Amino acid sequence: MTADAFIFWFLSLVAVTSGLSVVMMANPIYSALSLAMTMVSLAALFATLGAYFIAGVQVIVYAGAVMVLFVIVLMLFDLREETKAFTRGQVSGALKIAMIGFLAGLIVMVMAQGVKFLAAPDVVDAAKLPEDSSKALGLVLFNRHIFGFEALGVLLLVVAVGTVALARSKGGTHAKH
Amino acid sequence: MGQDIFEITINGIKLIVIFLLMVQAVPILVWVERRGSAFIQNRLGPNRVGPLGLMQLLADAVKFLNKEDFLPRKAVRALFYTAPVYALIPGVIAYCAIPLGTPLQIEAFEMAGKMWGPYTFAMQGFDIGVGIVFILGISSLAAYTILMAGWGSGNKFSLMGALRASAQIISYELALGLSIVGVIMLYGTFNLTDMVLAQQGPMSFSFMGNQVVIPWLPNWGLFYQPLGFILFFAATFAESNRLPFDLAEGEAELVAGFHTEYGGFKMLMFFIGEYAHMMIAAGLVTTFFFGGYLVPGFTPAEIREFVAQNLASTPNGISAITSVIHLLAYFVKFALFLWFFIHVRWTLPRFRYDQLMDLGWKTMLPWALFNTILTAVVIYVAYNFA
Amino acid sequence: MPSTDVINQIGLSHYLVLSAALFTMGFLGVLMRRNVLVMMMCIELMLNAVNLTFIAFSKFSGRIDGQIMVFFVMTIAAAEAAVGLAIIVSIFKRYREVNIRFFEHLKG
Repeated sequence: MTADAFIFWFLSLVAVTSGLSVVMMANPIYSALSLAMTMVSLAALFATLGAYFIAGVQVIVYAGAVMVLFVIVLMLFDLREETKAFTRGQVSGALKIAMIGFLAGLIVMVMAQGVKFLAAPDVVDAAKLPEDSSKALGLVLFNRHIFGFEALGVLLLVVAVGTVALARSKGGTHAKH
Repeated sequence: MGQDIFEITINGIKLIVIFLLMVQAVPILVWVERRGSAFIQNRLGPNRVGPLGLMQLLADAVKFLNKEDFLPRKAVRALFYTAPVYALIPGVIAYCAIPLGTPLQIEAFEMAGKMWGPYTFAMQGFDIGVGIVFILGISSLAAYTILMAGWGSGNKFSLMGALRASAQIISYELALGLSIVGVIMLYGTFNLTDMVLAQQGPMSFSFMGNQVVIPWLPNWGLFYQPLGFILFFAATFAESNRLPFDLAEGEAELVAGFHTEYGGFKMLMFFIGEYAHMMIAAGLVTTFFFGGYLVPGFTPAEIREFVAQNLASTPNGISAITSVIHLLAYFVKFALFLWFFIHVRWTLPRFRYDQLMDLGWKTMLPWALFNTILTAVVIYVAYNFA
Repeated sequence: MPSTDVINQIGLSHYLVLSAALFTMGFLGVLMRRNVLVMMMCIELMLNAVNLTFIAFSKFSGRIDGQIMVFFVMTIAAAEAAVGLAIIVSIFKRYREVNIRFFEHLKG
């Protein structure tokens, strides 16, 4: 087995195991910690695909900020044992699992079909993507996708205002009694 | 990792050596901190074990190893035991990405009947293209350690200390990240080695078409980014949970914060983690603002020339001695900043928690934004109006 | 499919199947779990799986635009987490529980 292949299989094993434990763990804190693990292993997978900057941002934003917020909230609630972690009803549960299996098959099939439409799906075209992709990323972001970037700025402003309003309103997180 | 077995072995050994350097620096730092604080407070400090009390930490380590290993009744076993181990990992991995000296070049040689090609070993654990982003990402994972320890202990004081510490780390990460943006724009790279090399020689820059050279100043980032330096340095104090920002372990309110329930060797591992963060901060400040491993007044090429004329004759020897000189220059700067961290701890009083949050969100974040915009405007003017 | 050695030749389809698996797990979690926080975590997992497909396609088709999309997805995910957590904390303060059935009180 080559080193690249080994790294891929190892990382995907970690990602799938920790992803499964996000869903299966009865204690939500363990779910959150294993989700952080999934995100770190996905960041490493991004790095194997040559997206080093995105990998770093993934660790900073997801694992370092978003998941820490989740963990803080969970620890504040102090939900030690969850009695009814999963949905009740065997028929509806079985139906849901069947639906999910169907969806998984559908996704895999669509992807297997869609790969054919790429020009050369299994050949890495190393010449097109520069080795240090951060600079190219910045150029594309601020030239071709500048509208999306600005729209995201507006979205973040709206979200910030909304969150503060939610926290300050009656019954909110920081409401004065 | 490397082309052949020799290079891979050396790179592996390098990682272990850097890890050992970090771990071994901790007893010395603790000794410096205890003796230094004693002199600051007009006491003597530990001076019984060994010369100048230098063996004190060895005695302490033996004591730590012999302490009883206990689990609090309400603790969560898995988290309680894994948290101290995780406290070490981010610090050590992040420190490996900081360059410590000029690369060591070894010419082709013959060993075991085979030619081993010329090698270049960087004086750092691993050279990463996006060095800053990597270090910021890895060290932001330290918040999990604190939360795991605080919640896993099953103690209200621990939990409150952990919540305070992690909220503080998240808040100051913003100011920290924004204060580096100016530096990144200045050097135009994420790579730490390239940053260091951009700072060699006397201060010289082109401004609106004129080449300005100031021969008596080194070309350090400090003189281009003074505001960025102050913000970055202050934010690293908060990131490593040191005084004046060590609200997480305010004795008067929280006993000892997230490590209230820890003792013995587990406590020591948290200690090493804290000092590792201090070392990363000192290393980054040196790299960004004080020319990294460069000797002020001399470029690496000049030092190499000097060594070739006076000290060594073989190419390997020249390269090795040059590397060692730069390594020493790096460690002098590094040690100065570590001492600064210790001195601040024993000089300034602690903040109140609301003051801490106000400082982070209402003072440092706006100033860091201002620094970013100012740097962008100045760079634009300097390059585009000739 | 031209690839023959499935274990050693890591191609685009490997990453796609991995991302499909992660996406399905997230979907499973959203349907099966009753804790709102865990449901939000599962949504994050699904977003991450989609990010992986973007990066993989960007690498294997040689265009960098896929990485830009990941950027946007990350920003939106962070915003979503902030608002979602604020709502969850408000609900918890009222009912001392984060089960999904309390969220029907949000109307009106």
